[in-house]
Amino acid sequence: MKRVFFHVALAAGILILCAAGAIGGATYYYTSQRGAGCAGCHEMADYVGAVHASSHRSVGCFDCHSTGWAAKLRHTAVHLSGRTPEAIRLRDVDVVEMTAKCQSCHQREYATWRAGPHSATYAQIFTNAQQNATRRLMDDCFRCHGMQFSGSIGDIVQPQSLNGPWRIVRAGLASEPTMPCQACHWIHREGLPVSKPVARFSVAGAADGESLAFFDRREQMHFAIAELPLPQIFDRARPVNVSPDQRQALCYQCHAPRQPDAESAAARNNWGAQAGSGDDRTPLGVHEGISCFTCHSGHGESTRASCATCHPVMSDCGLAVEKMDTTYANPASKHNIHWVKCQDCHTHGVPRSMHRGSEFVKPIQWNER
Amino acid sequence: MAGTAATGAVCITGCSWRNSSRWEFLSNAQAETLAALADQIIPEDDFPSASQAGVVVYIDRQLMGPYRRHRGAYQGGIESADQISRKFCGVALAQARPTMRQEVVSALAERFREFFEMVREHTMEGYYGSPRHGGNRDAVSWRMLGLKEPPLRGRAHYDLSKGRGS
Repeated sequence: MKRVFFHVALAAGILILCAAGAIGGATYYYTSQRGAGCAGCHEMADYVGAVHASSHRSVGCFDCHSTGWAAKLRHTAVHLSGRTPEAIRLRDVDVVEMTAKCQSCHQREYATWRAGPHSATYAQIFTNAQQNATRRLMDDCFRCHGMQFSGSIGDIVQPQSLNGPWRIVRAGLASEPTMPCQACHWIHREGLPVSKPVARFSVAGAADGESLAFFDRREQMHFAIAELPLPQIFDRARPVNVSPDQRQALCYQCHAPRQPDAESAAARNNWGAQAGSGDDRTPLGVHEGISCFTCHSGHGESTRASCATCHPVMSDCGLAVEKMDTTYANPASKHNIHWVKCQDCHTHGVPRSMHRGSEFVKPIQWNER
Repeated sequence: MAGTAATGAVCITGCSWRNSSRWEFLSNAQAETLAALADQIIPEDDFPSASQAGVVVYIDRQLMGPYRRHRGAYQGGIESADQISRKFCGVALAQARPTMRQEVVSALAERFREFFEMVREHTMEGYYGSPRHGGNRDAVSWRMLGLKEPPLRGRAHYDLSKGRGS
């Protein structure tokens, strides 16, 4: 009996040693070559090639992607079975993990994004009672929220009705962001590594526009901002002066105007996409023609302090612009900052000296910097 | 434990025992020939050629999936293309001079009409289809056609609690 036990223990010991050696060797093989080892599997070759041509070329695959046992076993099973997916994509959980890894290098950007509205969680977006009680939950929500989520709307929130209370089906995602870094940034984009500027610009200053890209859920790929369209927008029949800042093309993918309803005067007269419709925030009135990025900082979206970039702290009226209650965030308000007009305040007529419209503010163009 | 040992062993070898090609189904030589053939169907001009836009990637991936049934046809057809090329110019199609490639492909289209039409159809699919399938790299053909992709779709405002849209 002792002899049998000895042989079993010896065999198990040898197996453990072999496994440890093999796994240790594999880990070294992959990590020591900054991803070249990953390209040994032909399914990975294109992706590794893309990373080595990207601005993240100095980062190894395993600095961002999972190296756990489960991942290794899953990759091996897929590879050996030959059931390789048509395109290799990050899973929901990988996207969540990735966001935390972005933080390790981009701490300032992460902190401002985390404090801003674009870090809204699955629970905040999909169990919002005010929203869900008036509008039907639908897969189209994923176009701008949770775009990397692999299931349908019923897989993330229940019940699918106007009557709550609503709950997140996959509880682990409830506190995770619906608009992670990869929603607006293309990590594997082609380009040179970006060096940080010596001095930071203000909210109106340059952002890393080259990394901006929209992750399109339907195509399961990023579209760089240079490829995204800037819309032609009308305020009734009048063409709206839209800033040519190409970075806005990213904003417009979600904050977009709609084509007019079929029976409307706008449709009958071919007025095209109407300002203020859909989720549109295109500036009209006194702010017409300026870019989203003139007031909104890229990650935090904070805008209050940006007023002082163009306006004197004390306005011509003697009001402190940063303290004015203009009901600027209320879309129903005529003082909404996006489309407030001179006449909205000067109800008895606009003083001649102020009659300069949008020419008053000449926005700094992205490509002028 | 045995599974993890196998994992490690597979990872260490880089799976080279299985396929040394950088492609999923095609060999490197077959892919080069297919690229030369596809580039005669959609050559480079102001916009990328078929192979530059990833058509070979598209076909290669489909041969691992829905187009498994065409594997034999591709292997035989590519071999035939190289044979015709060797007969015409002494080298495989990928190594032939650009002016000769057109003659080789014309001969291929005449003698192996069914194969050529299949490649032409798949080249079109890869070049004009969705980039998610491996072709139409960076949506290049859509930009060539002036398509605004992805389209802008502002969400309709409505309020079901009031019994109507608003």
